Amino acid sequence: MWTVFHLQWLRLKREPLLALTFLVLTVVFVFFLAGSQGVQTITIQTYSDELSEAEIDQWLERLNQSETFEFEHNDRSEVEDLIRMSEISFALELGEDHYQYLVGQESHFLGTANQHIEQVYRSQLRKEEVKQRFPDLVIEERDFLKMDIQALTTNSSDNNDIVTHVITGMTLYFAMYTILLSMINLVTEKRSGTWNRLVFSPLKKTSIYLGQLTHYFCLGMIQIGLSFYLFYHILDYNFGSQYFTIAMVLMAFVFAVVALGMLVMGLVQSPQQLQAVIPIVTTGMAMIGGAFWPLEIVSNDILLFLARLVPIQYGIEALKGAILYEQNVVELLQPISILLLMGVLFMGIGVNLIERTK
Amino acid sequence: MLEVEGLKKTYKTTKAVDGVQLYLNKGESVGLLGPNGAGKSTTISMMSTLITPTSGDVRYNKKSVLKHPDIIRPVLGVVPQEIALYEELTAYENMRFFGKIYGLSGRKLENKVDEVLELVGLSDRKKERIKRYSGGMKRRINIAVALMHEPEVLIMDEPTVGIDPQSRSYILDMVRKLNREKGMTVLYTSHYMEEVERLCDRVYIMDHGHIIASGTKDELKSILSGEETVFVEVQQMSLKLVEQLVAHEAIQKVTEVEKGYKVIATKGEDLLADIFKLASTIDVKITGIHVQTPTLEDVFLHLTGRKLRD
Repeated sequence: MWTVFHLQWLRLKREPLLALTFLVLTVVFVFFLAGSQGVQTITIQTYSDELSEAEIDQWLERLNQSETFEFEHNDRSEVEDLIRMSEISFALELGEDHYQYLVGQESHFLGTANQHIEQVYRSQLRKEEVKQRFPDLVIEERDFLKMDIQALTTNSSDNNDIVTHVITGMTLYFAMYTILLSMINLVTEKRSGTWNRLVFSPLKKTSIYLGQLTHYFCLGMIQIGLSFYLFYHILDYNFGSQYFTIAMVLMAFVFAVVALGMLVMGLVQSPQQLQAVIPIVTTGMAMIGGAFWPLEIVSNDILLFLARLVPIQYGIEALKGAILYEQNVVELLQPISILLLMGVLFMGIGVNLIERTK
Repeated sequence: MLEVEGLKKTYKTTKAVDGVQLYLNKGESVGLLGPNGAGKSTTISMMSTLITPTSGDVRYNKKSVLKHPDIIRPVLGVVPQEIALYEELTAYENMRFFGKIYGLSGRKLENKVDEVLELVGLSDRKKERIKRYSGGMKRRINIAVALMHEPEVLIMDEPTVGIDPQSRSYILDMVRKLNREKGMTVLYTSHYMEEVERLCDRVYIMDHGHIIASGTKDELKSILSGEETVFVEVQQMSLKLVEQLVAHEAIQKVTEVEKGYKVIATKGEDLLADIFKLASTIDVKITGIHVQTPTLEDVFLHLTGRKLRD
């Protein structure tokens, strides 16, 4: 088994272009798709007809203490122009003890922004009120109530949900591509006669299959591992702390994909046909399984049913569970089991088909 | 040493091999001669345990290899018809791999790689990838990997297909050397009768899935002992001459060859004089004539009415 396994690595070393291409594609796609979804600041234009420059600066300083919003000062006329040209949706008019919006079109940021602005104004007005009530006293601010807020993970915001989806979806999609396209080697070996040489050697057939399949399994795992390593360093992406669970999910997923490969090789036995079939199978499954967009936006029942039949859906679901919600192996037992079951089923049918058509 | 008994292989309704019987004695070089589609490759695939026969058995030292494939696999070397090599790897890497799967390792493996590369004359090209080799070189490495474990029985399935005469001659000399000097038992299948004539002690002739004749080369040629082959070279080909020749009572078969005709006729008649007479009556000028001792090709033609390469 290990001799066959080592040979496959040697072959990959001689012709590594395919595997490297898909690794690079994974990183590039995730970098652009997830990078564009990264932590963003929302810029809000402000103007004021009644405040002085110094007062405006003070308000801006208070408002800009948020990491999410960035408030910029502008002239009313310029702000109106921007709204008219639909370059911004709304702007904030600052007053001494009040504020109001100039709205051009509805924006889903307005609600969140309003919460922040209202809080800043309320806090400032309260301080002003206290100062006015006790003009002779020196007022010192103290924290009487200190709150320490701990989120479940640092990634649990909506924004990180999207990034996680892109990272898991794209990585699993391109890993599927690499594994299935590499498995064409198996069919090519049968065509070239090298497979026959192995069969009439003293090697057991199980060893030949295990050597080959372990190689494709490791290839998939390494590609995903390397991709995650790069995302961790390049995108500074936080994979949480459930590394063991992530590894288990990946192993179950890659096993299911290798088994799927065996099924495809059993059904289509010409390398040329496989070159055409594999992109269709891979991309089709990725689309149905929600690798390109979250399944939450799909409302068609048939598509949702089909999604339950493809491994990538369970892979993404389980990975998101482990990364975003810190779920452990026991909590993710269902998707992991389904992946393993799919793997066993595909492998059984695939090997039978391959052996029967020999 | 190796016996094949009533081997049959049927694919749906097609009988690829139909009751083949043959045997190989230790140290023998045996030819399996037949045209394309005769069932030679299917027969050797069954002998090498690659495919399961529909019925029949293959015995190695009296033991069924179909029931116990493990008894023959370590001592069997098979050279397939196709170039069964990893083309992206070098000759050295291919040989190392195939040596390893037969249990060779370490110094023994390295020595064997060097020895076999020397035998096939490619020691100086061992670090080149197979895909850069010429057809003849690929064929030699295709044989070399089957020799890595020093097999007792070497089965070669048309190992010289599609290569230049020089490489072919090299391969034939190598096979003869393996058989004569190393005592390797060889089963050599081909549709080139001259290769089989040059290499083999005994020959099986196969057609349409059956063994139609077997024996030593002389035994087979003696099938034609009552006949002779005459080559008639003419200045201009003539259909009329063919008709006249076919009508002659001693002549059994007339086939067109380059610049003339090949005539198979019963011995003892004054054939040459008759041929000259027939030609002169229809004004065909004979530029040359010679009588040839029968070849295996003639035997095959006699038995099947077809040429080996038809």
